[in-house]
Amino acid sequence: MSDQSSKYRIVVDGSFTKFDIGNMKKKIENQKRGDSDIIIDLSGANKFDSLSVAFCSKLESDRSVRLIKSPELESEIADFNQTAGSDKAETPEPDFTEKLVLAFYGLFYHIRDFIILAADIFYFSFVSVISSKGRKKGSVYEQINLIGNNAVPIVFLLSFLIGLILSLQSAAQLRQFGANIFLVDLIVIAMITEMGPMITAVIVAGRSGSAIAAEISTMKITEELDALKVMALNPLKYVVAPKMLAMTLSLPALTIMANLVGIFGGFIIAVLYLDLSPNIFFDRAVDVMSLNFWGQSILKSVLFSWLIVIIGSHYGFRVKGGAEGVGKATTASVVASIFAVIMTDAFLSLIFYFEF
Amino acid sequence: MEKNDKIIRIKNLIASYDGNTVLDGIDLDIKKGEIFVILGSSGGGKTTLLKHIIGLLKPVHGTIEVFGKDILSMEHYEFDTILKKVGVLFQGGALINSMEVWENVAVPLEQHSDLSLDVIKEVVKYKLGLVKLGHAYSLLPSELSGGMKKRVALARAIALDPEILFFDEPSAGLDPITAAELDNLILNLKEKMGITLVVVTHELESIKRIADRIVYLQKGKNIFCGTIEEAKKAGIDEVDRFFGWA
Repeated sequence: MSDQSSKYRIVVDGSFTKFDIGNMKKKIENQKRGDSDIIIDLSGANKFDSLSVAFCSKLESDRSVRLIKSPELESEIADFNQTAGSDKAETPEPDFTEKLVLAFYGLFYHIRDFIILAADIFYFSFVSVISSKGRKKGSVYEQINLIGNNAVPIVFLLSFLIGLILSLQSAAQLRQFGANIFLVDLIVIAMITEMGPMITAVIVAGRSGSAIAAEISTMKITEELDALKVMALNPLKYVVAPKMLAMTLSLPALTIMANLVGIFGGFIIAVLYLDLSPNIFFDRAVDVMSLNFWGQSILKSVLFSWLIVIIGSHYGFRVKGGAEGVGKATTASVVASIFAVIMTDAFLSLIFYFEF
Repeated sequence: MEKNDKIIRIKNLIASYDGNTVLDGIDLDIKKGEIFVILGSSGGGKTTLLKHIIGLLKPVHGTIEVFGKDILSMEHYEFDTILKKVGVLFQGGALINSMEVWENVAVPLEQHSDLSLDVIKEVVKYKLGLVKLGHAYSLLPSELSGGMKKRVALARAIALDPEILFFDEPSAGLDPITAAELDNLILNLKEKMGITLVVVTHELESIKRIADRIVYLQKGKNIFCGTIEEAKKAGIDEVDRFFGWA
C-alpha cells in the first residue's frame, strides 16, 4: 500500500489487502475526529483479497466517507456481495410480539417434553423392576456404587459440618436463656426434616445430576442413543432406568446417614460446649425423633431423587451442538435440579407444617 | 423368498426438517442379497433416507416396507422384531464409550439372545475375528483408531447375523488401504452370509468396487436408480459429472 494522502484524501495505489485494513481504519478514525469529509481514492489499487473487499463494501455505506473505486474493485465488490448474499436465508428478524409468542411456545414445549419424559421414565423404570430385559446386566448395582457409595465421604463430611455449625450458632443463643436442652430438639428436627434431605440432594444433584446430563448428551451427540435404538433397545430403559432405580435407593440411604451424622455434629457441641451429658442428649433425641419426621425426610429424598434424574435426563436428551452443548446441558441441569429441590422442599415443608 | 425379491420398498417418501423438504417423493426398491449404494452430493438427503429406513426419523408422507411390512404403521414391539434382523453401522461407529470393545459387541447378544455369558464371549471373539480385531477385545473405544472403531461397530452390527446391513459412509475419513479392506469385508459378508447391504457413500472407488445397484439423490429427488453400467448409458449430466464421465 503506497499512500500519498492530503488533508482529506487517502490515496492507495497497487495492492490493498487484509494487512492494510488496520492502518486504513486508524487514518479514517483520525480524520473523523477532525470532523472532516474523507475521500478514499482506490482508483489506482488493483490487487485485493476477500477481507479488504468486504471492508470496502462496508465503507460504501458509510456516509462520511467517499470511496473512489477502480474497475477491479467495483467488480470484486459486486462479486463479493453476490456470493455472500446468494445463500442468505430470507428470515426477517421477529418483532417483539413474535418473540413473546415464540418464547411462550418454547416454554410450552419445554414443559410438555418434560412431562412426557417424566412419564416415560417412570413407566420404563417400573417395567425395569419387573423385568431386567432391555437393561444392561449389573447396571443398577453399578449405578448405586457411582451415585450412592462414592458420595458417602462428601455427604458424611458436609452433613457433619452443617450439624456442627448449626448447633454452635444455636447453642450460643439458647445458652443465654438457659434453654440448653432444646438444642437437641432443634438439631434433630432441623436435620431430619430439612437439612439432611436438602443438603444430600444438593450434593447429589451436583455430583450425579450433572453426570447424568453429561453422559446422555454425549451419547446423543455421538449417535450412541441412535445405535441403541436400532439395536431394538430403548435408551430410557437401557440408560435412564438403572439410574432412576439406583437414585431412588441411594438418595434416601444417603439422607438417613446425613441426618444421623448431622445430629452427631450437634451432639459434639451439646456435650463440649453446652455441657449436656451424653445420656440426656440421647434420651431427648429419641423422644423428639418421631416416625413422622423420618417419613417426611424419606419422602422428600425420594421425590428429590426423581427430580434429579428426570431433570438431568431432560437436559441430556435436549442437547444441541457439540462439546459446548454438553457443557450447557450439564450446567442447566445442575441449576434446574438445585432450584427444583429447594422449591419442592419449601413447598413440602409448608404442607407438613400445617398438616401434621 | 427369491433372490430378486424386494426386501425394502419405499413409495413416495417425503421428509422435511424445519419446513425444508429434504426428501421429495422418493420411490425405491432394494432387492434381497444385493449391495445397494445410496449416493449423491452433500446435503442431497442420503443419510436422511437411511435414517428413515431404520426408523430413526418419521416422514411427512409415504410408505416404507421392510421384509414386506409397512414399518410406519406398526407398533413399537413389531418394529423391534424387524430391528433384530438388521444391523446398522453409523458414520462415527457410535460405540458406547464407557464399555470395552467386547462389551459393545456383546450388547445385542446379551439383550436379544438366550446365550450364556460364556457363549456370548465366544461369539464376540468370532465376530471380532471376522473384522480382524481379535487383539482389541479388552480395549476401550477411546483407544482405537477411526478405522478400528468402524470395524468394531461392524462386528456389533453383524453380531446377530442380520439379514440387512446399513452402512453410513463406511469409508469416510479412512486411508485408501483401510477403506479397501473395509470394502473387502463388505463383499465377504455378502458372499458368505448372503446379507443385503445398503451403503451410503460418495467414495468413488468404493462405489465401483462394491455396488450392485445405485440410487443417485439430488436435492432430495431420486434422479437415477440402476446399475453403474446403466448409469453410464443414461446420460444424466449430474451422474456423469459425479463419476467423472462428463
